[in-house]
Amino acid sequence: MKDQVAVIGVGCTKFGDRFERGFEDLICDAAFAAYEDAGIEAADIQAAYLGTYLPGPGGGKAAVSLADALRLYDRPITRVENYCATGTDAFRNGCLAIAAGVHDVVLVVGAEKLKDRGGRGIPRLGHPLLARGNTAPGLFALAANRYMHTFGLGRETLAKVAVKNHKNGAQNPKAHLQMEVTEEQVLKAPIIAWPFGLLDCCPTTDGAAAAIICRADLAKRFKKPAVLVKGAGLAVATGRPYFDPTFDYLGFRSTQAAARQAYAMAGITARDVDFAEVHDCFTWTEISNVEDLGFCAKGEGGRLVEDGRTALGGDIPVNPSGGLKSFGHPIGASGVRMIYECVVQLRGEAGSRQVKDAELGLAHNVGGPGAVSCVVVLGRS
Amino acid sequence: MVGITRIATYFPRRRLDRALIAKAWGGRAAGTRTVAGFDEDALTMASDAVRACLESTDPAGFDALHFASTSAPYAEKQVASVIATAADLPRQARVADFGGSVRAGLAALSAALDAVGAGSARAALVAAADARLAEPESELETVLGDGAAAVAVGREGVVAELVSAASVSEEFTCLWRTDQQRYVQVSEPRFGATYGYARDVAEAVTAALRKAEVPPGRVTRLALGAPDARAAAEAAKRAGCDPARQLEASLVAEAGILGSGEPLALLSRSLETASPGDFLVVAAWGEGADALVFRATERLPAARPRPLADRLAHGLALPSYERYLRARGVLPAEPMGEPVTAMIEWKELKQDVRLYGSRCEACGLVQYPQARVCLGCRAQDRMADHKLAKRGQVFTFTIDNLAPVAEHPMPMAVVDVDGGGRLYLQVTDAADGEVKVGAPVELTFRRLHEAAGNRNYFWKARPALASS
Repeated sequence: MKDQVAVIGVGCTKFGDRFERGFEDLICDAAFAAYEDAGIEAADIQAAYLGTYLPGPGGGKAAVSLADALRLYDRPITRVENYCATGTDAFRNGCLAIAAGVHDVVLVVGAEKLKDRGGRGIPRLGHPLLARGNTAPGLFALAANRYMHTFGLGRETLAKVAVKNHKNGAQNPKAHLQMEVTEEQVLKAPIIAWPFGLLDCCPTTDGAAAAIICRADLAKRFKKPAVLVKGAGLAVATGRPYFDPTFDYLGFRSTQAAARQAYAMAGITARDVDFAEVHDCFTWTEISNVEDLGFCAKGEGGRLVEDGRTALGGDIPVNPSGGLKSFGHPIGASGVRMIYECVVQLRGEAGSRQVKDAELGLAHNVGGPGAVSCVVVLGRS
Repeated sequence: MVGITRIATYFPRRRLDRALIAKAWGGRAAGTRTVAGFDEDALTMASDAVRACLESTDPAGFDALHFASTSAPYAEKQVASVIATAADLPRQARVADFGGSVRAGLAALSAALDAVGAGSARAALVAAADARLAEPESELETVLGDGAAAVAVGREGVVAELVSAASVSEEFTCLWRTDQQRYVQVSEPRFGATYGYARDVAEAVTAALRKAEVPPGRVTRLALGAPDARAAAEAAKRAGCDPARQLEASLVAEAGILGSGEPLALLSRSLETASPGDFLVVAAWGEGADALVFRATERLPAARPRPLADRLAHGLALPSYERYLRARGVLPAEPMGEPVTAMIEWKELKQDVRLYGSRCEACGLVQYPQARVCLGCRAQDRMADHKLAKRGQVFTFTIDNLAPVAEHPMPMAVVDVDGGGRLYLQVTDAADGEVKVGAPVELTFRRLHEAAGNRNYFWKARPALASS
C-alpha cells in the first residue's frame, strides 16, 4: 500500500463542548471543510468510511448517519468501530479500498457526540458482573500504577506530559482546552482514578474530522500538495488484559505490533519519524506509548518528556496538536483528527505549532486499554 | 456422636461509634456497633461466615446448608441456595431458609443436628446472619449490630457434643416487622424483656438441663441471645445460674444485638476457653425460646474457634452517622446499572458464583474467565475446570472516584490468585493505604449492584489482615 494512496483534503471541526451542534452537523462541518480543502464536490466521492464508537440515542448508529448528514446516497458507506482506534482504523480501511483498486476517491469521517449523552464520561460497557466498576481512567490507571511501581516514576513525570500537551494545544484554535497548565496545577487537581488527577485525563469532547483520499497517481489533479500514506498497521490483543496472568502492565503489545506493521510497510524505523500524534488519553499513556512505538527503550518514556525531547522543539515532537489531552477526545473522531494534524504539519500549515522540516509523521491510537492499536505513517513525498 | 465440628463468626469491618448516633438525635450512648457495608447483607455476611467456618475443609463433604435470618435480602428467593453455590457445595445438598424471629439461628442449628442425628444428612452447615434496620432516632437503632455466625455439624471431629434440647413456644408480641414495614418494630421493651424473654428463655434452659440431668450450677457457660444484657442476666438467674460466673459476656458494647447469629456467636466465644467435659448452654428467643445443651469434647483444645476479639479487630470507623445511613440504604445511594440476566447467570454460574476458571491441560496455565482456547499456548478445548483460591496478592490497582458505586473512592485491583489465575475485582472494606502493589487480599462474596429490580452478587477483594 506504500505510496499508493494520497491524502488530498482534510477538515476538522472545533473540538469541545459543542452543545449547539448535533452529530450530523459535526459530520457536515468536517466533510465540507475537507471537500473545500481538496477542491472537490460530494459527487466526486465514490465511497465513504465513518468511524464512530458509541451507538446513537435509541440504538445503532450505522453508515446511514453519514449518508443522511451529507445526502451521500447510492454508494458504499461503511461504519467502523474499533474502540479508541476507531478513527485511524476507518482511515486505514479507506486506504485499503483505494490500494485494492476498487475506488479512486474516498471520504473518511471520524465523528463523536459525547456531550449529548447527559452522563459523565463514556458509558460503561461489558459484562454485567466481571470487571464491573471499571472506568476508562481506572483501566489505564491499573497500568500506570504498575508501571510507576516498576520503574520508580512519580506523578511529577506524568504531569510534564500534561504541561507539554496543553502548551501545544493553547496554540491550536481548534483544540478543546486552549490553556496552558503548570505542573503544580496538574499535581493538585482532584484525583479521578489514582494516580490520575483531573488534568492527567483528556476531556470528553464533541468533534469530527474528515480526510479525502485518492489514488496517488491521481493526486496531482487536486489543489493542495498531496500527502502520501506510507504505512498502516492495526493490531488487536485481549480486551480483558486484567485477566491475563502473563501481562506485565508495562506497555501494550497491540501498539508494538501495529507499529511493526506500519514501519515494515513504510520501510522505515521509529528513528525516521519526525513527529507523532500519539494517543494520550491519560498522561501515562503517552509515556508508555512512545516506548511501544520505539521512540525510546521501555522504561525511558518518562525521561523523554523530562528532557524536553517530545516538546515542539525537541528531536521527536509528540502531539504538536495538543493531543487528546488538550485537543480533546471525541473517541471515533480522534484518529482522523490526528491524520488531519499530520497533513497540516507535513504541508507546513501548522503556524506557531509547526514542526520544522517535517517529512514523516505518525498517528497512533490505542483503545481498550491495549485491546486495539492502529498506527498510520504519512509522508510529504 | 453428633455435634458441632467447627464454628466461626463474621463481623462487618465498618463500625459506628454510638456517640455519633447520640450526636445526631440527642441523648447519650456508649460503645460501638458493627455496620454492614453498602455491599453487605444477611446473605453476604452468612457467606463470609461459612467461608471462615470451612477454611480449607472440602465443601463436597457437606450435604445440607441452613440459612437463618430475619433480614434476608429476599422475601421470595431462597438464600441458602445462593450461599451453598458460592461455597461450592454439591448440587445435591439439602438447603433451607429459616426466619420469622431471631430464634431462627438456633432453629436452623437444631434442624441440622436433628438431620445429622437422623442420618438424613452426613454433615451440615448452618449460617445465621442479620443486618436488621431500626427506625432512625429509635432506641433500637443504637443497640442493634450486624454480624453472622456459621456452624458445621457432623459426626466426625465433634468439638461440642449435643446433649439435650428443649423449646417453649407461645404467641408473645415483642419485636415484629410486617410485610409492609422496613424497620423492626418493638413493643414496650421492659415488659417484653421480663414477661417474654426472661420467662421463656429460663423455662427452655431449665427444661433442657433437666433432660440432660445437669444441675444449673454445673453449667460452665450460658450463651444467651438477648434483647439486652440486663435481660440475659435476669434469664440466667431465673434458670438457677449465676450471671456473674456463668453468663457469656454480651457483644453489645463492641458489636450490638446481632439477631439470628447472636446465640451462635456467643457459643463460639464460650468454646474459646471451655475445657473438655464442660457443659455449655445456648438459647435463643422470639415467641418462645429454644435451648440446647452441649458438652465440650477432647477434640476442642486442638480445634478452637478463632476468638471473637480477632474477628472484631481492625474495625473501620465510619466518619459520620450519615455514612451509616447511606451504608444501610436509608439514604439512597446506588445508581442503577445493567442486570446480569437469569440466562447469563445460569450459563456462567460455575464461573461467576462458584468461581471456577480454566486450567490448560497442555501448558498448565490457569485462566479466568473460563475459555475454550488457551491464553498461553492456544491449545483448543484442552481446558479443565479449576477452582480459584479465595486469596491472592494485588498485582496492580487504582483508587477510582469516577465509578458509579455507592462509596468513593472505590479501589479496584488486579489480583494474582494463590495457585493460579488472575482476577480484576472491586476492593471493599479497605482503609487508606491498604490497597497497594503486593498487598495480600482475600475474596468475599458481595452485593455488587442493583438493577432491573433485583440484586446482583459477585466476588470482591478485601485486605487480608493479619488476624482476620
